[in-house]
Amino acid sequence: MGLNLNASPEDLKVFLEEAEELLQLVEEDLVRLEKEEDTDGLIQEIFRAAHTLKGSSATIGHQKMAELTHAMENVLDKLRKDELDLTTQTMDVLLECLDLLRIMKDDIARDEDSGADPSSLLARLKSIADEVALVTGAGQTPAPAAPAATATPGGLGWQELARAAEAVQRGQSVRTAEIVFSEDCPMPAVRAFQAIVALEQLGEVLGSQPTMDEIEREHVQGSVAVTFANAVPDEQVRAAIVAVGDIRAVTFKPVNIEGQAAAKPDAPASAVPAGDQKRPADVKSAPARTTTSHTVRVDVGLLDNLMNLVGELVIDRTRLAQILQQFESKSGNDDLTAEMSRTSVHIGRVSTDLQEEIMKARMLPVDNLFKKFPRMVRDLSIKAGKDIDFVMTGQETELDRSMIEEISDPLMHLLRNSVDHGIELPADRQAAGKPRKGRVVLSAAHEESHIIITVSDDGKGIDPEKIKAAAVRKGILTEEAARRLSEREAIDLIFAAGFSTNEKVSEVSGRGVGMDVVRTNIERLSGAIEIETAVGKGTTFRLKLPLTLAIIKALLVNVGENIYCIPLSSVTETLHSGRDQVSTVKTREVTVNRGQVLPLLRLRRLFGEPEAADEELVYIVVVTFGGEQVGLVVDSLVGEQEVVIKSLTKFIGDVPGMSGATILGDGRVGLIIDVPSLVKTAMAAAD
Amino acid sequence: MAGEEIALEDDLRLVVFRLAGEMYGVNVASVESIGIMAPITRVPRTPSYISGIINLRGRVTPVVDLRRRLGLTEAAYTHDTRIVVVEHNFEQIGLLVDAVTEVRPASTGEIEPPSALITDVGTEYIAGVIKAENHLIIMLDLAKVLRREDRDRLKRERVS
Repeated sequence: MGLNLNASPEDLKVFLEEAEELLQLVEEDLVRLEKEEDTDGLIQEIFRAAHTLKGSSATIGHQKMAELTHAMENVLDKLRKDELDLTTQTMDVLLECLDLLRIMKDDIARDEDSGADPSSLLARLKSIADEVALVTGAGQTPAPAAPAATATPGGLGWQELARAAEAVQRGQSVRTAEIVFSEDCPMPAVRAFQAIVALEQLGEVLGSQPTMDEIEREHVQGSVAVTFANAVPDEQVRAAIVAVGDIRAVTFKPVNIEGQAAAKPDAPASAVPAGDQKRPADVKSAPARTTTSHTVRVDVGLLDNLMNLVGELVIDRTRLAQILQQFESKSGNDDLTAEMSRTSVHIGRVSTDLQEEIMKARMLPVDNLFKKFPRMVRDLSIKAGKDIDFVMTGQETELDRSMIEEISDPLMHLLRNSVDHGIELPADRQAAGKPRKGRVVLSAAHEESHIIITVSDDGKGIDPEKIKAAAVRKGILTEEAARRLSEREAIDLIFAAGFSTNEKVSEVSGRGVGMDVVRTNIERLSGAIEIETAVGKGTTFRLKLPLTLAIIKALLVNVGENIYCIPLSSVTETLHSGRDQVSTVKTREVTVNRGQVLPLLRLRRLFGEPEAADEELVYIVVVTFGGEQVGLVVDSLVGEQEVVIKSLTKFIGDVPGMSGATILGDGRVGLIIDVPSLVKTAMAAAD
Repeated sequence: MAGEEIALEDDLRLVVFRLAGEMYGVNVASVESIGIMAPITRVPRTPSYISGIINLRGRVTPVVDLRRRLGLTEAAYTHDTRIVVVEHNFEQIGLLVDAVTEVRPASTGEIEPPSALITDVGTEYIAGVIKAENHLIIMLDLAKVLRREDRDRLKRERVS
């Protein structure tokens, strides 16, 4: 059955994308809320998200969603005013609301009504909110008495005036828009909020009457006055505001800044509501949000298409070069061919750059994947009656989009395993002399030519004997074969098809589709999975994945004819040292840097290049490796650049000291140095 | 045999190239493209017959110096030097040759075993020879030419 929503397919698409983003934000913030000390900002953010969602769901005509977000907003409002303490129950209700909102969102996406009913949640939210009202006895605070009368026109404080003056200097005009809502407008506060958001898209919003705070508390009568600064003509601003809907009229009034600025000292006018104190911060955060959103959502399919098209372009470029060659052999090297050759080279360069940029566009920080895990781990651990501290590191590590999608399921599985089978119940942990709270760590990092993702827990570990017994019981091995297995081989049995040691099957894991699927998935990505475990201490799963498309920031240097890229993450500094400052200690060259002896490695020597003529100065790149510093002597420095790591190809294989290659701006191939492996092999060779 | 029959049996097309004065051939089916010399980035710590890597239409592609690989005398690159790009193990690999001379039809029936051949190249890399009008075309066994036995050996050593 359809939902009969009041929106075009395009509107719905925009709504769904926005809703997904907001729901994700709410989820992250809610989980963080339980952990972090400073919750004010988070609650504010959740409140804003719920508010926006309320507005947009009302716009598309989804009444249930609007009601639910409205009720959530009430509770959140009390939370942020400290009228309510955040309890686990409140948290659970909010998370359940979130789940229901997701279901509603999915319903909208499919245009089906799965009968999601918010009434029980609405009742629970109401009881949470009402309880507060009973406790504080405050009831509803009355609407502040017409603050507009005493505040400066447009409701600007002196900070806003200063910003207005800056805007004028930038050539923008400061105006107040008087927005009158139509009489039958069901939710004027929502429209007011949306109008302000619309204005934020066009420039800077300096203030409003009623204030943002009052709008959020629904203290909106028939109109709202918003003071804003931008260089957009009135008609365009009007169109943007009217597009919000339910608006009868918009009139503009210019704001005179100079006269206002003089009025600055009388800022704390007595009639200004207390909430106004917070307002500048609120309003300021809004433009910040608009400036960070220099991003566009793009369908992955579109990126893939772009990639293919560029591939074709690259092939055509080569064709062009070939045609040019024939042309040259026919008509010789006249001006026209020379011009054509230049153009062809340029097209070549542009298409290579294009290809690289699209590759970069496909990269995402693993955070995009990781961020859904805290909630999952929280829910799982509560269900399993376990107390778990979930830690994530390296979220900024970038991975190719497709890779992120592919490793999502395996990681989810590993985390479930850690929660379900790894971490013991609090009482068992205590009995074993461990802290009651278990710890699960998810981390990502670039390492050599791979990305390493680990899932580790400090739980009970895997007992090879139990694995063997289970394998025999399940008929995977004979008793005789099991006895012959080494510990490592026994542990590897968990990757065998259909293997699960779980005695009682839980809701989420131990369903038979187990570690064998995880391993197959990882291997399909030409990755590997390793397991390290110690009985009583914990288990670590280590995923090693190729980073064919990973990007790093690198320092480019010349050595001989080649350009090498040294990952900036391992570069400490670069030195330009006099020849006479280099001395030899026991066959090893060293220099003194900041009072410390710095061992030197000559890359020319390491890479089998002929030694350079003795220069007066040497360029040294100081790299850190395992806490120690080593100076790499290079011919010269080229500069810093982001490079796309490509594999050295299967044919070349692993080369000690190199993690891959990259195509440089001029089309040449540069080699990427793997600092740990280079230093390790060089030091080993020298000893 | 009559010329007609040979024509009927022309089931192959060969890319023919020159290397140290001799002609060599590979099946056109395994050749992806033929390119002019490009700047080659030498990769340290690899066998000397690997010239390095090039940017081939945005792909990092290894290039093998066939003269070195086949144990022939070395020579400087010239205007005629070409990179014959072949597919091997689902990967592109460039082969450096002195010059590409022609693409010609041939039939499998023409290929003779390499035993009768006098050449500087070790027979292990040769799949056979074809007698052309006034010269021989040496058919290369690409799988063997491109086998990294140096690495196989390294692996064996590591394992044992």
